[in-house]
Amino acid sequence: MTTAVDDELWSAIGEPTRRRMVDLLLAEGFGTATTLSEQLPVTRQAISKHLGVLDRVGLVHSTPAGRERRYQVDERQLARAAAQLADVGSAWDARLQRIKRIAEAIQRAQDNRQQEDKGE
Amino acid sequence: MEFGTIEREIFVEAAPAIVFEVVSSPDHLKEWWPDEAEVEAVAGATGRVVFHRQPPEQSMAVPLTVVEALPPRLFSFRWGHDEGEEPSPDNSLLVTFELEPAGEGTRVRMTESGFRERGWEVAVLEEIYLDHSEGWDYFVPRLGEYVARLVSS
Repeated sequence: MTTAVDDELWSAIGEPTRRRMVDLLLAEGFGTATTLSEQLPVTRQAISKHLGVLDRVGLVHSTPAGRERRYQVDERQLARAAAQLADVGSAWDARLQRIKRIAEAIQRAQDNRQQEDKGE
Repeated sequence: MEFGTIEREIFVEAAPAIVFEVVSSPDHLKEWWPDEAEVEAVAGATGRVVFHRQPPEQSMAVPLTVVEALPPRLFSFRWGHDEGEEPSPDNSLLVTFELEPAGEGTRVRMTESGFRERGWEVAVLEEIYLDHSEGWDYFVPRLGEYVARLVSS
């Protein structure tokens, strides 16, 4: 089911270390468990595990490179995760616009009433 | 941006007390978000928001629990947890409205967080409500009536 896949995608990218790994991979184009562990305060084993999680949800792809694997970000999958969050954000934009209009209408109504009370 | 948190800021030309009412009272809430709202703007109060769907059996009622209510500065609540569950960072989304006086109006800072902990399911749930935000074609007629009622009361 797509919801289950999305759920995993979300928790994969939600974890702070994995997010930093994705950032590093994006900045450098690619990386291995060794190069990533040199830049992060985490063991190489932990990095390998995180790479496994990212790989399973399709956020990274790997190719063999000597004794290691070389990882790259799948930008389409990353964009998909970001787009879903952006949709939630635009829902809030619309809600805040409504909050603004309602509050301003009430403020104007109050101001008008006060002016009338003053007999203006 | 912290992935998993939505942050927005907007300036409203109305006093903080009015904005506080609009973001926290059930009558106003349903003008900008759900179709029905039952909640008291008191810390710890639990209520619910209802979203109408077609057919009506698919309508959804979601619990909402007030975390902080400090008029006219701060209003926050958790929503999205299952009925009967205690809301926590693991099972719900936290929405916070911070209101700060600015000139003749109010600066409103809204954050919604917890997507990371709560997982994707609830982000999809949120997305379902997008059809609510189709905008003012739907809300303007309602708002006209509503303000007229307020002014006459």
